[in-house]
Amino acid sequence: MNAAPAPHRRGLAQRLSEAQATIEALLSGQIDAVVDSKSATPVLLSRAQDALRQSEEQHRQIVEATTDGIMKVDALEKIVFVNGRLAEMLGYEAQQMIGMDVSTFMSASARASMVNTFARRPVGQDTLDTVLRHKGGTAISVNIAASPLVDGEGQRIGTLGMVRDVTERNKLQSQLMVSDRMASVGTLAAGVAHEINNPLAAVLGNLDYVAEILGGPARGASTSANPGRSDAWLIEEIRGPIGDALEAAARVRLIVRDLKIFSRSPSDEPKSRVNIQAVMESSLRMAWNEIRHRARLVKLYGVVPNVEANEGRLGQVFLNLIVNAAQALPEGHAEQNEIRVSTHVCDGRVVVEVSDTGAGISPEIIGRIFDAFFTTKGVGVGTGLGLAICHRIITDLDGALTVESTVGKGSTFRVVLPIPRPEAIEEAAPAVEPVPSPGRRGRILVVDDEELVLRSVKRLLSKEHDIVAIAKAKAALALCAGGESFDLILCDLMMPDMTGMDLHSELSRVAPEQASRMVFLTGGAFTVKASSFLADQAQEHLDKPFSPTTLRAVVRRHVQ
Amino acid sequence: MAKTKPKKPGAKTGLLLRLYVAGNAPNSLRAVANATAICEEYLTARYELEVIDLLKHPNRALADGIIVTPTLLRLRPLPVQRVIGNLSDTNQVLLTLAGQ
Ligand SMILES: Nc1ncnc2c1ncn2[C@@H]1O[C@H](COP(=O)(O)OP(=O)(O)O)[C@@H](O)[C@H]1O
Ligand SMILES: [Mg+2]
Repeated sequence: MNAAPAPHRRGLAQRLSEAQATIEALLSGQIDAVVDSKSATPVLLSRAQDALRQSEEQHRQIVEATTDGIMKVDALEKIVFVNGRLAEMLGYEAQQMIGMDVSTFMSASARASMVNTFARRPVGQDTLDTVLRHKGGTAISVNIAASPLVDGEGQRIGTLGMVRDVTERNKLQSQLMVSDRMASVGTLAAGVAHEINNPLAAVLGNLDYVAEILGGPARGASTSANPGRSDAWLIEEIRGPIGDALEAAARVRLIVRDLKIFSRSPSDEPKSRVNIQAVMESSLRMAWNEIRHRARLVKLYGVVPNVEANEGRLGQVFLNLIVNAAQALPEGHAEQNEIRVSTHVCDGRVVVEVSDTGAGISPEIIGRIFDAFFTTKGVGVGTGLGLAICHRIITDLDGALTVESTVGKGSTFRVVLPIPRPEAIEEAAPAVEPVPSPGRRGRILVVDDEELVLRSVKRLLSKEHDIVAIAKAKAALALCAGGESFDLILCDLMMPDMTGMDLHSELSRVAPEQASRMVFLTGGAFTVKASSFLADQAQEHLDKPFSPTTLRAVVRRHVQ
Repeated sequence: MAKTKPKKPGAKTGLLLRLYVAGNAPNSLRAVANATAICEEYLTARYELEVIDLLKHPNRALADGIIVTPTLLRLRPLPVQRVIGNLSDTNQVLLTLAGQ
């Protein structure tokens, strides 16, 4: 081994220059290890540095990757550090913000309340909902979680703040509130529909009855069923008003039906063959108030087969598209603008289009309009959910929802739906009124707690059949149990005391043959039990309000 | 790390170099590579390059008065010369090696 020259043999100048070189090498990061001459152990610099660098890098990454803004301010409320997110939130470069006074983006009142918060809780963390000012002037709702920074002596040297942008959260919350509200409106609507249907059934039934008498056989053929026929003048006088009343009542019936469609909960969504035109008409009626001040409505219905869908959901899609079309048009120039709905078959699929001559959609945003929460409309007008929901509903049906738009010219939304297998296509044509055949005189029991319904059914049927009308299911049960027999039992489903379902199960025990002859009269809202009852037993039922024709058709089927 | 890498073994008169490094630390690896390259490229005379790992032989480092690594010592001819750092400045290394 070579003898190493002792360090002290080197000259002072040389040692100085070596010291200089060592320092330079250290500073330029060229040194890996330092020998601690006292303990004779090498201290690895590089590893320590790497570890430091790594942990620094890790922290930096965390600080920059977090979705929260982070700021550190000194005791004079000047910015010492901000991360990229906070800078972005406020519209600055992070570097620009160093040294900036907090008041630049935080109002005096917000700062005051923050100071108060901290005065109450000088240690630990506290949060504060407040508003920050973007460089461009807009207000940003934020939640700040701030912790005081203290030095070794417990002296307050600044504040560390985590700033969360809650604009989205607030939006979501109000969104939830909207859907909550929609859900309760739905429940309410179903309830109202039910309440209205009972009296409405009576109104329609009685009006139909009167109209029948008025427009009945030639005058003078007086029967006991049409008193007042002798007074020709009176008949002429009331024919018009009765007609109007009938029309109005029919409209109420449509409105109630619309309410029912739009109040169904998404969980029970049975699909069936749906007549597109009928659904579109119902949606147009609902949106009519939005449309009429803004545009002419043009309807081009081609002949299209029924599609397999949930009626309510499809109605929701059309309604959304129509309302969007209307909202794209200014109010008050109805004659200059047009909303056009059309249906046709193309390439073996059903195509439904909703077009408007409105503002159109710019290419920059057209890719985002189907995104949930994307809206260009103000608070309270748009939720940004409409198209997203439409898209989901249509995709669920194996269909497609597309858009074409020209800025300044207008937009066309196109719903394309598959045509169900041919063998399964139902009759699309409306039920043709069968020619009434005289048939035999039947014996019919009507059970309904609504006196008005009882009376109108009785009135409509008593010419051709013997009607027993009873308001209580218990009495009806007693009658049947006592050996009375009927060709048909028309029974309300929902009744206090004993329901139609209860009557059915009792009858199944004591008079099964009679139970099989029950047809249920149903109002708007079903309980879960009621709808599964109807589904399970494949029970025949008649929706209130029913037309005399439908009622007579049912009766005819049972009284052969 | 290998203790010696005599390029032209047996010579007692040529250049004697000793490089102190710290394991596989980045600057140390660089210094070894640089030293080898410089020797092969520029040193026409006989030379001997010894690489010593400070982590394995701390006492030798102390004996040679090493404070930091990498450090390259020119032990022969005298006087002893030192280059500190990863030897990336070839000119400076050559100047020192040629120094009187
Ligand atoms: N017919 C249309 N004409 C112009 N823009 C439309 C039309 N339909 C939708 N849009 C644009 O798409 C966005 C999203 O629509 P939507 O999901 O229904 O939400 P919202 O109507 O609540 O804003 C609208 O804010 C609007 O910018
Ligand atoms: Mg919308």
